Amino acid sequence: MIQIENLVKRYGNLVALDHLNLQIQEGEVFGLLGPNGSGKTTAINCMLALLKYDRGSIRILGEEMTPDNYRVKQQIGIVLQNVAVFDELTVYENIDYFCGLYVREKEKRKQLVEEAVQFVGLEEFVKTRPGKLSGGLLRRLNIACGIAHKPKIIILDEPTVAVDPQSRNRILEGIQELNRQGSTIIYTSHYMEEVEQICTRIAILDHGRSIAVGTKEELKNMIKTGETVTIEGVLLTPEQILSVRELPHVFSVEYEEQILTVRCTKAEHNLIRLLHYLQEQEIPFGRVFSELPTLNDVFLEITGTKLRD
Amino acid sequence: MLHLMKYNIFVKVKEFNVIFWPLFFPLILATLFYFAFGMIEEEDFEIVPTAVVEEEGADPVFLEFLDRMETGDSPLITTRKMTEKEAAAALKEKKVSGIFRVKETPVLTVGGNGISESILQSLLEQYENGKQTMQTVARLHPEGLSQAAEQMERYEEKVEQVSVGGKTTNGNMQFFYALIGMACLYGAFIGFAAALSIQANLTPLAARRCVTPTNKLKLVFTEMISSFLIHFLNVIILLLYLRYVLKLDFNGKMPQMLLIAWIGSMIGVSMGIFVGSFGRMKEGVKIGILLAVSMTGSFLAGLMNGEMKYVVERNAPFLNRINPAAIISDAFYCINVYDDTARFLRGMVTLAVMCVALVLASFLMIRRERYDSI
Repeated sequence: MIQIENLVKRYGNLVALDHLNLQIQEGEVFGLLGPNGSGKTTAINCMLALLKYDRGSIRILGEEMTPDNYRVKQQIGIVLQNVAVFDELTVYENIDYFCGLYVREKEKRKQLVEEAVQFVGLEEFVKTRPGKLSGGLLRRLNIACGIAHKPKIIILDEPTVAVDPQSRNRILEGIQELNRQGSTIIYTSHYMEEVEQICTRIAILDHGRSIAVGTKEELKNMIKTGETVTIEGVLLTPEQILSVRELPHVFSVEYEEQILTVRCTKAEHNLIRLLHYLQEQEIPFGRVFSELPTLNDVFLEITGTKLRD
Repeated sequence: MLHLMKYNIFVKVKEFNVIFWPLFFPLILATLFYFAFGMIEEEDFEIVPTAVVEEEGADPVFLEFLDRMETGDSPLITTRKMTEKEAAAALKEKKVSGIFRVKETPVLTVGGNGISESILQSLLEQYENGKQTMQTVARLHPEGLSQAAEQMERYEEKVEQVSVGGKTTNGNMQFFYALIGMACLYGAFIGFAAALSIQANLTPLAARRCVTPTNKLKLVFTEMISSFLIHFLNVIILLLYLRYVLKLDFNGKMPQMLLIAWIGSMIGVSMGIFVGSFGRMKEGVKIGILLAVSMTGSFLAGLMNGEMKYVVERNAPFLNRINPAAIISDAFYCINVYDDTARFLRGMVTLAVMCVALVLASFLMIRRERYDSI
């Protein structure tokens, strides 16, 4: 449905997109995950034909994406990172205005606007101006303005920034519902939990490059980490730390401020083996956590930095 | 298209900057002017005392013309024949408003820059226009010279009948004319907002509009039209307020005033669109440019000092030809005081040309659909 090949975008000496390649299939919820400045929004703006790029090609629905390819634009809904609505218009008028940029027929538009209002749960606020809405409701309005015309492709650029947990859950559920209704979703975020929750396939971006693409399971299988064990309130000598490093399946040990973090490859009984060692050495310890690998681990292993750095 | 325009207008009329500066601020200022000037009563023009110095080879037709201006039901000037020295002394002592040195080509010397002096200047221009026509006829169609002379006689009569003689005005009106000029230029705020709202690299709202299947041309066009309409209405409201609420002396015909309002509002809006279309300059800087241009233009047109327009006319007349506020103010003079249709039309054409140039230049800047950075 969307093919991006060798996309290069430079801002002077800064390479924002470095030969980016992406293939997005119909019906997917495709996540673009990466830290701030990794090129997610730049990639979106290039896809939307808003930004000039230096090299590469973008094809959407089998056609080259250009600013005047209105047939393709008709099939795209966009929810930008910044809320983009008119403060002077009511909720209903805003949705009607943006829907009107896609749908001319008045009766059809009216029906679509009402459905969009219902979809984002703003029925009680149709006559309210955006300035009087809470942050979460405002984000919902922002989404309604982008999806009212029922597009085949919906691009959501960090739609949950600065949103309370309740509204965030509602937004994420809404996105999954749109996908169930047949829309292909492209979702950018730097919140890995969200991407893990809703995306069927994920591309991890860093410095304008796609460093890994796949389902969350595929991505996690790409890395060495199978389990991360964290033990708090533990006092270790340098020799003991070396001994922990020598335990089977352990490949990384960090010890800082009495917190021991041990990364193990995928294997059984990693936690039991570690606790057994501490007991044997009569080393007291506090709370213990064991986590399966996250996308942050994927990012950390591939790039050497944490996702939110 | 109507759908877009409807919402464009909704949005604009609810925006403080779009309503306060172009509409309410001029209304407030007009009211303040009205009370500041105290009793605004109509006063008849005083007949302009003028010295005439006849030199060798004096143009007899011009002397006849002056004579006609001095006689009749509504005499416009009163002339006294003097020597060069006497005339200079009389001008210095302000016993006369100007000196006509009548030689082969008449020359006017004025000692001030008020309405009296403008009247004398206007008379000389009218005479020169007629005389040039005669010379052209003599050169191209000498056989029709007598007929042309007859026509010129009629022209002079016409001048006498429809000239400023008999019309009443108040000296303070120039402030209100300049105020209308300023109000027209304040349409720049509407145009400015319109320009920002369609450039994807400037606001998220514009970006959202630019990724829709609605043609960019259509977006630009609807923004411009709705901005023009709103500001035209703003200027009309101001005109009606001045004429019917403050009951100021607007003798001119309403269609001509509407034409000024239309072209004046267009020039203001176009200016705003033009400045709003400059690349990624900071918004505050752009607003600063708009304020500087509109306030300087209004100042030079006589908004703060009635003499200013004449000072500019004497020292840098070109400025008065390109300053939209001065042209608008002058257009009101033309229809309310001078009855100078040619000058009025010249002003309107100048504004229209400027407006088209600004809109075209803006369009060239705004039309691009892909940006280097957002």
